[in-house]
Amino acid sequence: MIEFYYEFDWSIPFQEPYLGMMITGVKITLILLAATTVSSLLLGTLIAILRISRITLFRALGTLYVEIFRNIPGLFWILFFYFIFPEILPDKLGDTLNTYRHYPIVAGILGLTVDNASYVSDILRSGRLAIPHGQREAAISTGLGRVQQYFHVLLPQMYRAALPPLGTRMVHNFKNTSLCMAITAPELTWATQNIESLTFRGIEATTIATLFYIALAGVMIALIIMLEKILRIDVSSISTSRA
Amino acid sequence: MFRASQHQGHDYIMDLLEQLSNWHFYLLGSFPRGDIGGLLLNIILALLAILSSFIFGALLGYSRLSCRPYVKYPCVAYIETVRSTPLIMIIFWFYFFLPYLFGGAITIFWSAVISLSVYASAYEAEIVRAGIIAVPKGQLEAALSTGMSRYKAMRHVVLPQAFRIMVPSFVSFFVSLFKDTSVCYIIGIVELTQAGIIISQRQPDRMYAAYLCMGIGFWLVCFSMSLVARKLEKRIGVFDLESIRPEACRDDYMLFPARKQDTDPEMLGACQPQDR
Repeated sequence: MIEFYYEFDWSIPFQEPYLGMMITGVKITLILLAATTVSSLLLGTLIAILRISRITLFRALGTLYVEIFRNIPGLFWILFFYFIFPEILPDKLGDTLNTYRHYPIVAGILGLTVDNASYVSDILRSGRLAIPHGQREAAISTGLGRVQQYFHVLLPQMYRAALPPLGTRMVHNFKNTSLCMAITAPELTWATQNIESLTFRGIEATTIATLFYIALAGVMIALIIMLEKILRIDVSSISTSRA
Repeated sequence: MFRASQHQGHDYIMDLLEQLSNWHFYLLGSFPRGDIGGLLLNIILALLAILSSFIFGALLGYSRLSCRPYVKYPCVAYIETVRSTPLIMIIFWFYFFLPYLFGGAITIFWSAVISLSVYASAYEAEIVRAGIIAVPKGQLEAALSTGMSRYKAMRHVVLPQAFRIMVPSFVSFFVSLFKDTSVCYIIGIVELTQAGIIISQRQPDRMYAAYLCMGIGFWLVCFSMSLVARKLEKRIGVFDLESIRPEACRDDYMLFPARKQDTDPEMLGACQPQDR
């Protein structure tokens, strides 16, 4: 048995007020997860559409976005939206943001969104490349307009083809929500560090939080696998002839 | 706090040029007088982590393919646990835990290196596993049928092909690990993020300049590395299972896109004996 130079006290994270901090932390983490998943999917889809557009300017814009945001760490964007963003905005808006009580959470959502969206757009773009050319031709020949082509033919297939890497990315994004502790968003990691600074018993809280992260990531992976099974199309039943 | 209206007297270009005087702190930290820091420390951390965990990660990835459940499932458990834990949690965990285990202080640098290695090993294991899986089963079967032992078949036939497939993934993982080293600032390591924060706090009226320099530093390294990754992908070729049709596998089977000298008829002719 390894001898520890420390005596564990597992009751600390389950006492008030520390339990309250942990529960608030879980809530904020879940809010961050839900908000960033939705917003980064939306923004990522937009960037992906820009990047597969036929107009060179749009393609350049999309590529510029991805090259900038993918090559700078997510932590930087979170810090950027917390410290710098309110100050480059017009005075009044910046002041409103700075004095807003929940601005750390908003900044965290913004930072995680712009970071994750670049990866999402990359994944969706490669999903677009997996769609056979005939699909678009078929869509055009049935008389669908450009927007309709995207909403009824291309996007559903893009999402389906990209689902496994997209799921991995979303789990990664969930793990990245822990970075929001750097800007004092009171999520789970911040709660454990707060308990550490109040009681010097951070390791118990950190361990429990780690278990929570592992469990929720497991649930996410299970949900994604279920979704994959639901959305799977039996390709063997469709006869396709490739030219 | 810096406000746009108060800031009208400021010259943005001058603010940025002023940052040039801090170049040494951004790139090297307080190196000659103190510890190495700044961008160099990010690179050192990422390199140390990826190299020190390589053998362990490769073993894990290889063992995950084992058919023996008592070898496979511990590896699956380790990989999946580490992969679903946020890096910041791993860093905190080792930061708190290692002193308890060793009974003494461990420098934050080594605490960061250990946690980054643990983090990297799980991802490397997945890269190695994907690389081995990407080598078609026929290769192993062919090697075994020529009378090679399992070890020899892996060593001489499967792994050389697998490692070639893995190289681009390793480079892009290195880029991602390099970006992740920025998280180490949370335990007080003065790498580029921390250096930028320190400088920005010294001049709170023009914080944006420090952040801009920080971003440029990360961007330059990551962008050049991702260019290398892209070039490697083009040269080595991303292995694509879909592109190999079953009938093509029989005779003119090729694992990699043919290099020019392999297909160039003149080169082929040059290889053949001229006179018999």
